[in-house]
Amino acid sequence: MGPAQDAVDSLLKSFLPSDVRGWKAETKDAVYDRESIFEYIDGAGEVYRAYNFRRLLSRRFVRDGRPDLVADLFDMGASYDAFGVFSNDLEGEEAGLGQGSTYNGGLLAFWKDRYFVSLSADRETEETKAALFSLGRSIAASIEQEGPKPPLLALLPSEFAEAKAVRYLHNHIILNRHFFVSHDDILGLGRADGAVLSKPGKKGETGVLLLVEYPTAKTASDVYVDFSRVYMPDAKEPGSVQTEDKTWTATALRGKLLAVVFHAPSEAAAKDVLSRIKSGVK
Amino acid sequence: MPKKIITRRDFLKAAAVTPLAGAIGCCCTGTTAVAPKPVPGSGKGMATIQSISRGSRVVLVRDENAVAADRKLNAEVIQKMLDDAVAALFGEKSPAAAWKKIVKPEDTVGIKTNAWRQLPTGKEVEDAIKRRVLEAGVPAEKVAVADRGVLNNPIFQNATVLINARPARVHYWSGLGSCIKNYIQFVPKPSEYHNDACADLATIWNLPLVKDKTKLNIQVMLTPLFHNIGPSGFNEKYLWPYQGLIVGQDVVAVDTMAYRVIQAKRKQFFNDDQALETSAHHIALADTRHKLGTSDSGKIELIKLGWTDEILI
Repeated sequence: MGPAQDAVDSLLKSFLPSDVRGWKAETKDAVYDRESIFEYIDGAGEVYRAYNFRRLLSRRFVRDGRPDLVADLFDMGASYDAFGVFSNDLEGEEAGLGQGSTYNGGLLAFWKDRYFVSLSADRETEETKAALFSLGRSIAASIEQEGPKPPLLALLPSEFAEAKAVRYLHNHIILNRHFFVSHDDILGLGRADGAVLSKPGKKGETGVLLLVEYPTAKTASDVYVDFSRVYMPDAKEPGSVQTEDKTWTATALRGKLLAVVFHAPSEAAAKDVLSRIKSGVK
Repeated sequence: MPKKIITRRDFLKAAAVTPLAGAIGCCCTGTTAVAPKPVPGSGKGMATIQSISRGSRVVLVRDENAVAADRKLNAEVIQKMLDDAVAALFGEKSPAAAWKKIVKPEDTVGIKTNAWRQLPTGKEVEDAIKRRVLEAGVPAEKVAVADRGVLNNPIFQNATVLINARPARVHYWSGLGSCIKNYIQFVPKPSEYHNDACADLATIWNLPLVKDKTKLNIQVMLTPLFHNIGPSGFNEKYLWPYQGLIVGQDVVAVDTMAYRVIQAKRKQFFNDDQALETSAHHIALADTRHKLGTSDSGKIELIKLGWTDEILI
């Protein structure tokens, strides 16, 4: 471990208290990087790696006769990615912490600045819930700054901008978790700077919108051509096709930005959504 | 020949023709399972053997007393479940005779368990397996139970027989915590097998350390987890006391049946045919791409033993 990593680990440790409501920190924290995270989280560690995660500090709190508490503090490197990880799972009640938070059945999660925080109890009780919230407030207060959300979010038409509907992602496997498109990366997400998926409503009945920003207009154009060939070879006019479930898929290319509307109720509705995507990416 | 790219539209096409063809992105091949023949005299509750079709044989055994309300496992009941399942799997009258088809006294046996903190395999299951292995004549010093650390464990390094047992749960990256996936600890760099939602996990089964050594696979369905919260999240709300074990020699067939149970539970709970958030296509690919076993329900002989309430498949 070098001095730079020591400094990161020290900073992460400084965000965590040594005790909370009678629970005391175990003497040794565990620290993981992009390879060793699998020793802790197994394959699900790929989710954090998909968001460029740098470092994880995990601290366990113990109290006689009570379930343990676990604090996992992720340095995601950038606020966009802390937001992105958080946006993967939005189930649960709003918890009022950080820049976005949820609580669900013993798991309290929030993001602030470049950090994603996951706090859990081995078993949920009223006491552990209170302790988790106390721990969360302490950590959120220790992280002094806030960080910006991905700029792509600002381009969403209003009905697609609802917080619970929006995910930020870099990876087609994460995309497929929320809206299956293909086992192959036919949208070139591995080459993109970032993507936003919005699926309002339980099943995206009014449409599912995907915005992908690429590093160059040429990359965006190449992906558009490939996607059209693979996904919409039967389009009667370029850029829109009625799919087998009688809904419509339509695409629009604007410089470095590719927009795709899936599952729209009509062709007109799909094109209307595309026309209302705000400008911002050149 | 260029590889065919499967997209959402292929699943929409299949669903349009056969509405029950399966959720979008889902894992398994084949939907033409033969309907079970009812067993004369079997009433509600405890049933005798029902057999569907022929092919890879898988045994599903359940007992409503396997798990207490506080999730405590009943060791005695679990032992009996395992014994009944193994006997049925090998068509033997006694478990002892069946276990002799799995291990011999001269074998070195590694029992690959799963130690995930929130939902481990369970000591009761591990002990039940180990007890029968020892009774089959394998010396204690040649048997080991392990999850992490198998690469440094001399028993596993020299194993002639592997027994694979893990609890069924959805998995954030691979879709299903499958018996196929349970061997990820046999590789030094798990991340190398994570591409495309772990599509090619089956290749691990061709490595010299494990190839052709697995004599028994057990998907522990005592309290399966049917829904995820977060990448490393766990919520007891999404466990349910299915109180079963799925046992077989064909690991793909075992995982296929486990997947079907989990999917049926999700459909029941969400009142919707809600696919796993991450496709467990590694199971189907273990069959179609890697020929590790069968994922076609129509080619799996499913033997059901014991408690049938809410059996779901």
